Amino acid sequence: MDIAPPPITATTAPPPQIEVAALTKLYGDFTAVNDLSFSVRPGEVIGLVGPNGAGKTTTLRCLAGIIPPTSGAVRICGFDLARQPIEAKRRLAFFSDEPRLFDYLTVSQHLTFIARIYGVAGYEETGRRLLEELEIADKADKLPVELSRGMKQKLAIACGLLHAPSVIFFDEPLTGLDPIGIRRMKDSILKRARDGAAILISSHLLHLLEEVCSHVLILKAGRKVFDGSLAEVRERFSEQAGGGNLEDAFFRATGETKGEE
Amino acid sequence: MIAGALFYYQFHSWRNRLLTRVRRLRQPKYLAGAIVGGLYFYFYLFRGFTRGHRPPSATTLPLSPEMNDLPQTLAALVFMFMLLMAWILPHSRAALAFTEAEVAFLFPAPISRKTLIHFKLLKSQTAILFSALLMTLIGRGWGGGHLLTRALGWWAAFSVLNLHLLGSSFALTMLMDRGISTWKRRVLILGAAVAAVAGIFIWTRHSLPPFPTVSDQGGFAWLFRYIGRVFASGPLPYLLMPFRLVVAPYFAASYTKFLITLAPVLGIIWLHYLWVIHSNVAFEEASVEFSRKLAERIAAARVGNLRGARRPKKAARPPFVLRPAGHPAVAVFWKNLISAGQYVTARVWLMLVWIVVVSGALLQSNWAFGGGGFGTVVIFFVGMLLAMSLFYGPQVLRNDLRQDLPVADVLKMFPMPGWQIVLGEVLTPAAMLAGAQWLLILFGAIFFPQQFEKHTVPLALRLSVALSAVVVLPFIDLLALLIPNASVLFFPAWFQLGKDAPRGFETMGQQLILMFGQLLVLLLGLAPAGGAFALLLWGGSFVHWPLLGLMLGAFAAAMILAIEVAVGIMLLGGVFERFDVSGELLV
Repeated sequence: MDIAPPPITATTAPPPQIEVAALTKLYGDFTAVNDLSFSVRPGEVIGLVGPNGAGKTTTLRCLAGIIPPTSGAVRICGFDLARQPIEAKRRLAFFSDEPRLFDYLTVSQHLTFIARIYGVAGYEETGRRLLEELEIADKADKLPVELSRGMKQKLAIACGLLHAPSVIFFDEPLTGLDPIGIRRMKDSILKRARDGAAILISSHLLHLLEEVCSHVLILKAGRKVFDGSLAEVRERFSEQAGGGNLEDAFFRATGETKGEE
Repeated sequence: MIAGALFYYQFHSWRNRLLTRVRRLRQPKYLAGAIVGGLYFYFYLFRGFTRGHRPPSATTLPLSPEMNDLPQTLAALVFMFMLLMAWILPHSRAALAFTEAEVAFLFPAPISRKTLIHFKLLKSQTAILFSALLMTLIGRGWGGGHLLTRALGWWAAFSVLNLHLLGSSFALTMLMDRGISTWKRRVLILGAAVAAVAGIFIWTRHSLPPFPTVSDQGGFAWLFRYIGRVFASGPLPYLLMPFRLVVAPYFAASYTKFLITLAPVLGIIWLHYLWVIHSNVAFEEASVEFSRKLAERIAAARVGNLRGARRPKKAARPPFVLRPAGHPAVAVFWKNLISAGQYVTARVWLMLVWIVVVSGALLQSNWAFGGGGFGTVVIFFVGMLLAMSLFYGPQVLRNDLRQDLPVADVLKMFPMPGWQIVLGEVLTPAAMLAGAQWLLILFGAIFFPQQFEKHTVPLALRLSVALSAVVVLPFIDLLALLIPNASVLFFPAWFQLGKDAPRGFETMGQQLILMFGQLLVLLLGLAPAGGAFALLLWGGSFVHWPLLGLMLGAFAAAMILAIEVAVGIMLLGGVFERFDVSGELLV
């Protein structure tokens, strides 16, 4: 297995595709996300990690335009999500941990519907290719209720990728996938990054993030604890300089204890 | 020990549920619902008692002493029919209704199968007692004995029914396991029932009392009397005997008679219990499946989507080809039409057209020589159905935001302004309603007679009225549909609660408040259009051009309504854009 994070060259860094400035989200008195700022450039895959309740999913939903932030700004490909939501949303895709599908639309009808929403000309060919790539081409006339959990996830992915988004958000992308599906998902993430997409992945699977991410953003209680490259996080939070893994770094960064230790 | 644990679980589940509901009354929305719901219950169920309008022990059916037996006979007949259906209708394996948590914790636990059945039987008593109480209150004027004996009578009948449904489902599962298919079983049981009915018919033909002659007939008493005599003839009394025994406690006139009639019912309950408990049927697998479906239904209902819980079984064909270029709102309309197509298919529309045409033709031929009567029927028929479509249509057709509330997060991700989403959402039920209404108007225009109560109704007038209605109604539909959709966005918690906890009277109160609120807003919305219509109609009549006034009035009303709808859609679109799904659905 030679999956490697895409190379990042600091000298020719293009402008960020995702820019987050002082993002804050309150639920009544509870602060879910507190003054969060970071950016993601094309080709970067950033892993969003943190303990339960750290604000990862809330952050992703704010960035995808599903829930409005209480304060702060989000720019997607240079478009302000609050002021130019249509332009910003045209360029992003969000994959939730649970595939969100319309019960009464078939696989192919999902693609037709999404193509009209995003105005994807020639979607038939792109859609066919995506379904083949995701190995659900033979399920084109099936309803979601007739699909397994993994197939539903693949359909959600096909819908999300149909308009070739420049910014992709994943919330626990490997939930419910079999080993082959996991491998394909990793390959797919890296391929999109190589094609220039900016990707943000929220996951508790630190080994996955270690395999696909170029950067890590660690949250705790809604606040940013660390934001940097994998090498930087290892260097800063590992006992051995330059050694250790993301798991060790995570425990040190969040101040958690590791099971029996 | 196990029984203690199960009792602990049941008791604390109950107690916590009750406490939660009491605590939430601190929120004004629940308190308001509770007050309105409480008042509704008071006026509907209890007022008669407190004012003493309906003496609880009186038999209120106006029957002569010789016909006192008839209600009991009819109740026995209904009960027999229900039990017969239990043997004909079910087509799946026996399943005891457990929740997902009960399946997860109790099935792998060291609990015997018999204990699980006991647990379910005792748990079902809660629902039975509640139903018995409710039916006693609702049916307090239906006759029978004292209030307490009637309540216990309901309890006895419901208990037998519950046990019989369970026992029959176990027995049918055993038949299935022995290779007897659902259809084979239905044919056998129906065949036996038909044979029994035929046998009884032949037997009773000789013993049936003669049908009364016309001169004997006066009011309906003769019919009740005759039916009573029929059920007392031949083998019918013997056939109905076990069912009469079950319903007898309800009709007992005194406590002594009640105790006498209760004894055989308790025996029947005991026999049913033995039958259920000794049926050696594997119910676990079907129960697991049942609990999964129940959990899905509850999850869908929690986000206000009762229909969503009913998963579509097969794909519906798209109503038209959706091209990638064009207005995105059309995509939402297209999607919802596919959803509606699961239930309202082209076949349904064709059938509607067929019914309308055939019934119109039949009615017309019947009244062809009857003068103005047919016109009254047409006006009544069309008017009633149009009124119903306006009042109930927006409540029944929910292929809009009410259906899509659970996927509001997905809709919010779409690169569309909120007004386009709202427009796409309300178009589907509006189109369906308008389609049905246009069909009715067409029916009215075609079949309304030219002569109506000494007045000539020329085709031009009929067409003008029809065209006016055709123009105005879609906008009224849109306005009427905007209101429940606005309710979803403004009061999502109320909307969800309405489906989440249908048993609470505070929920019923909330539904009533919403319903009256919607009606009030609709009337206010219609007022300007109605005013403009009336003014132009009057103006037209004044200058002796009533048809022109009618048409101009209709177009003016349609324009005003269109403006109101457009403003409403823009406003709701803004609300949708600001709608925080995290506060309502995701957290």
